[in-house]
Amino acid sequence: MPRPRGGEEKAGGRVRRSLVRVGAMASKETLHILRDPRTLYLALVMPVLMLFLFGYGVSFDLDHVPVAVADLSRSEASRALVRTVTGSRELVSAGEAEPALADLLFRRGKATALFVVPRDYAEKVAKRERVPLQLLVDGSDVTVANQVLSKADALVRAETERLAGVALAGASPPLVAKIWTRYNPAGRSSLFMVPGLAAFILAITAVLLTALTVAGEWERGSMEQLFASPVGRLEIVLGKLAPYLVLGMLELLLVVAFGAAVFDVPVRGSLSLFLLVGFFFLVGMLGQGLLISVLTKNQLVATQAGALSSLLPSMLLSGMVFPIENMPWPLQLLSRVIPARYLVHALRGILLKGNGLRVLWPDLLAVGIFAVLIVAVATARFERRVA
Amino acid sequence: MSALSPTVRVQLAAVFRKEVRQTVRDRRMMFMLVVAPVLQTLVFGFAVDFTVDRVPTVVVDRDRTDVSRLHARRLLADGTLTRVEGALEPVGAEKDLDWGRAAAVVILPERFASDLAASRPAEVQVILDGTDPNRSTVAGWAAAQYFGGVAEELARGRILSAGLAPPAQLRLTPRIAYNPTLKSPPYMIPGIAAMLLLIVTTIVTAMGLTREREMGTLEQVMVTPIPKTVLLFGKIAPYVVVGFVDVMLLVAVGTWVFGVPIRGPIPVLVSGTLLYLLTTLGVGLLISTISTTQQQSFLAGFLFIMPAVLLSGVVSPIRAMPSWLAAITLLNPVRHYAEVMRSCLMRGAGFPDLAFPLAALSVIGLAVFLAAVVRFRTRLG
Repeated sequence: MPRPRGGEEKAGGRVRRSLVRVGAMASKETLHILRDPRTLYLALVMPVLMLFLFGYGVSFDLDHVPVAVADLSRSEASRALVRTVTGSRELVSAGEAEPALADLLFRRGKATALFVVPRDYAEKVAKRERVPLQLLVDGSDVTVANQVLSKADALVRAETERLAGVALAGASPPLVAKIWTRYNPAGRSSLFMVPGLAAFILAITAVLLTALTVAGEWERGSMEQLFASPVGRLEIVLGKLAPYLVLGMLELLLVVAFGAAVFDVPVRGSLSLFLLVGFFFLVGMLGQGLLISVLTKNQLVATQAGALSSLLPSMLLSGMVFPIENMPWPLQLLSRVIPARYLVHALRGILLKGNGLRVLWPDLLAVGIFAVLIVAVATARFERRVA
Repeated sequence: MSALSPTVRVQLAAVFRKEVRQTVRDRRMMFMLVVAPVLQTLVFGFAVDFTVDRVPTVVVDRDRTDVSRLHARRLLADGTLTRVEGALEPVGAEKDLDWGRAAAVVILPERFASDLAASRPAEVQVILDGTDPNRSTVAGWAAAQYFGGVAEELARGRILSAGLAPPAQLRLTPRIAYNPTLKSPPYMIPGIAAMLLLIVTTIVTAMGLTREREMGTLEQVMVTPIPKTVLLFGKIAPYVVVGFVDVMLLVAVGTWVFGVPIRGPIPVLVSGTLLYLLTTLGVGLLISTISTTQQQSFLAGFLFIMPAVLLSGVVSPIRAMPSWLAAITLLNPVRHYAEVMRSCLMRGAGFPDLAFPLAALSVIGLAVFLAAVVRFRTRLG
């Protein structure tokens, strides 16, 4: 009986000593970060800056879109129509223009659409006929064009209703569609962006910072020095990753706190689930950075590889800005192996919808599996490279 | 070039040759510089699609009559909303939204058909998942348009049956110039070119020069009789070539794969690209003078690239920004270059149309590049 206990004690001692070594590595790495506060500063200022940029800059809600008007009818009725269409918050008049000048207006960016009222508008309205109205739209900016189309359509509909109101004489409308938008009633882009942004920032910082630091150690040859020390490979990996894990979690909290304070992003679900998903995602991203650095051993190449494998996919294929459902199936399939996709989905669920583990367990599972796999592969490659 | 003295020309050629050889020798670097941008353009082109259709919709038909079924079918007919299996009662349907199985719920009330037939006001409820504002706007618009049309028809019928003259009907017939089907790639690809060029040239110059400083090779070259300015231009020249090759590749991919038109004059594209490269390389150079490690120069480059890309109108329209932010974007070279590329490729704009963005690009480019050269010379001096 004493033997196993001794073994246990020895094992316990080994674990303790190992933890001490990991701690030493971590504190060495922390010193590295603290000694050069520029990295730390950039790593912590960046999320705040990006939050501002995304929150204010990336918005698809257009107002005051300039529309040029060609009123060929020049009547009381046509002026009323033009007032309805360009007097709204959404569309504003960019002045009168000849229909033939549309091309020039678009090229110079003076107007995004040209609204043409036909010569016989007043007569047709008086005779209560069908009146076709032409809207020439600059299709080179797809988002703007789509919004102009839908807004102009709604405004013309409103004018039709106004004309009909005279005939209906106040009868209640026969059918009403009541539209109620949940989770984000005002349709603000920032509520949509902030959860996605958290994933994006984490992916970039974690992958690129680790890839660069570790690749830097290879470049300078200090990695070989570390191998000469009694610190094991896994201990080096853990010790190097730990400070960045802390930094990443700080960033995550910073983004959500800032999102809540500045953009009123709600936190409807559980904060601990939020941290748990964030933690697994972060471990996965750190592992990915490590793998890149082990494979490239060169900071310049590591950056490009990191950007290619984390920055772009987590922006493009995560559903952060561009909807996944619209992508062709090969990309949809590819997006399934991008961990950011699961984090974005989980964060939106937690923050906006108040979803719990019952809904989000697949996301948690996915980021967890990715984390375990990538750290395992990175450690394996790490050892083989040295041997 | 002919204005330069023969010695300078030889020196310039020597530095250029050495830099090209060094860049080309590194296969991985070449991959990153040339192949990666093309791959990224392909992914971007296919991934970025703002069209909203097939919004998963649960229809809760509490009326269960032929009329209600007909309206449900017609509502879904244009493909914006797609029916998914879901709850049969409103309470369960909201759960479907919570779980993300549906993004829209349409509830047709009990006695829907009989209300319509008896001219009693009927109310249809539409509940949307607003997590993605773009999607919920389009879905809401589709529902409002359909039911609005039905209401208009009904009203017309009632006016006619009351023996009154029906009101005039205004019909908007849109005609879309340049991109009639409003496909996303022709709109995105010129902007993506601006973005990728920035990533490739700025980051690579910044990190490359910082790396030389880290390794001390820059100081080694300084002891040779090559003047600093010549050294600088020789170092940058290969990236100008790479930038041009990238632009050509991206436009080619855009044209062949995504059907992006080339309507404008090529000289506009060339001069725009040259002016833009002046800025992007200048920024890279500036960054290399302020950072001591590659990590720093990468982060600094990133810190420049993120805002420059996001506030350029490439991802979201500048018009949607608050006015103070839109004013700041006038300083953004990516904005002007994206404007030149888009307008020239799509709208066929020429020099007179693009005078403003081209002038802005030259001012920004010269200012940045001069500042970079001055700093570079003093740093090495």
